[in-house]
Amino acid sequence: MRIAVSATAGNETHCAQLAESQGLFAVLIDAPVATETIAAAAAVVATTSIRIIVRLHVGTENPVTLAEEIAVLDNISNGRIGVLADTGELGEEAALEDIGLLRASWSGRPIRHQGERWRIPAGIDGHVTPDAIMVTPKPVQIDMPLWLTGKAASRVGRALGLPSISEELGAIDPAANVAPGRITLQGSIEHDREALIAWSDAGATHIVCDVPVDAWDATLAKIVRWIVPEVAMVGFPRVVAEAELPLPWPRRTTV
Amino acid sequence: MRFGVGLWCLQATSSAPRSHAAAYRDYLEDVRFAETLGYHSLWLSEHHFYYDGYCPSVLTAAAAGLAVTSTLRIGTGMLLLPYQTAERVCRAALEVGERSGGRLDLGVGQGYRDVEFDGKGVPRRERAPRFTSAIGQLERVGADGAFHIWMGAQADKGVERAGRLGHGILLSGALPLPLVERLAGIHQKAWIDGGRRGGERPRVAALRNLWITSDPAERRAVLDWQRASYVLYQGLGWAVSATDANSEMDFRRDAEQAIAAAVATTIIGPTDEVIEGLRSVAAAGVDDVVLRIAVEGAPQEAIHSLMRQFAEEVFPVLGEPIGVGSMVVGGR
Repeated sequence: MRIAVSATAGNETHCAQLAESQGLFAVLIDAPVATETIAAAAAVVATTSIRIIVRLHVGTENPVTLAEEIAVLDNISNGRIGVLADTGELGEEAALEDIGLLRASWSGRPIRHQGERWRIPAGIDGHVTPDAIMVTPKPVQIDMPLWLTGKAASRVGRALGLPSISEELGAIDPAANVAPGRITLQGSIEHDREALIAWSDAGATHIVCDVPVDAWDATLAKIVRWIVPEVAMVGFPRVVAEAELPLPWPRRTTV
Repeated sequence: MRFGVGLWCLQATSSAPRSHAAAYRDYLEDVRFAETLGYHSLWLSEHHFYYDGYCPSVLTAAAAGLAVTSTLRIGTGMLLLPYQTAERVCRAALEVGERSGGRLDLGVGQGYRDVEFDGKGVPRRERAPRFTSAIGQLERVGADGAFHIWMGAQADKGVERAGRLGHGILLSGALPLPLVERLAGIHQKAWIDGGRRGGERPRVAALRNLWITSDPAERRAVLDWQRASYVLYQGLGWAVSATDANSEMDFRRDAEQAIAAAVATTIIGPTDEVIEGLRSVAAAGVDDVVLRIAVEGAPQEAIHSLMRQFAEEVFPVLGEPIGVGSMVVGGR
């Protein structure tokens, strides 16, 4: 199971850099409506290898516009973006339409869409406009990683074959190729290790950890030292993590 | 006179192919370089649904550029306001402004391409009321200095509105200098007639095509790349007259003439001639110049070389210290 952490609001740069330096696979940027890619941009330019997962508030703007923002961010990051699409209170049909348009916008195909919520192109100014549009630039990635959350996430996920992020252990599908979860950690090694091992045992493939804000750095250090190894192999020999760290590497004073 | 550079459109064109990831990587290098040299600002530009990936999300790109700099201002020249909800633009601009310590110059325009309005589901007839409503909301949200608002009109009506509202005006690089002078006069008069809103005369900025060279071959190449860059706008369907404006620069009615006229605005020659050209721009009522040097396809090395030479040779003669007021531009 791979472990990610959510960044604290306004501190995305530090959180992303620290998570990257410690080898975590991703950091989640969970920013308010309309500021998703703004906050994520700070994390993107401060890092070079870690995945940046952006919680995107679907239903708050034309999906084409949201897709454009993510595509630009994916190019800035050279293909390190993942999207956690939050469908909020949207019903299943509405969420299906918006998520479908997001994916169509990233696909490289012309878009001709007529739905309950959106008509694209709208055909309202249309004497000379084309009967389809293509969203540019395209993302760097072959297919934008897309996870779902929100009221209709599970049903939409099943309909579209997309992972929805589980917040309950029992909701993990151990047969799914990608089965992400989200957990709130307490900062206590005993509690957090037990909880994360339970998610791994349940078949989660990725987990996003919400870390106590007042102990973010310290909790991250515990995750990396004690828990990442536990969920990286079966039967991790704890003696490795429990042994004393070697001395700090000495600075060379002569060349 | 304060100097910025523009316009970064983040394209990959048929004449200068590259990956978009490379375009954004270069952009982040360019903003750092501009800051190092002491430029006041760097400007981005927005379009949608165009084959070359013309940047559709300028606030996202601005946020990235501002995050890797500490003094440089980054401007949107222009963010096309009617395509999004005003509330969304307000929130995003406020976030960018606050994260950057107020270094966002929010240039806003109305948009003009039918396909963009249609793709966004916004009736073109709503562009003016949506724009006006959004400006009011942006003024309230940005009142604490998180960002500065500039307007991107190129014709009498829009320029008059910007002056009346007390906002800086951002003029296109394609406008001939006599027209720039006339618009600057309209802007100032509107501000005075409108009751001098804001208390301080809003600035007039102009994007100008410019290059320093004494080499005839480089001169020919630069002017030819300028020509090619305006062919791109011909492809976009740009026409000043289509934006409620002046017929002099109508790329749809007589593209060849319009492109030639736009290229003819270029200030090009050895440093002393460029300085004289810029003095003429200042005499036309322009407070700030944005060098239109990021012509798509121009090698990054050449752009950086020009930026360095301009900073070393022109800043000491015409430049104002960084940090006095704010810089502007706009147009294309």
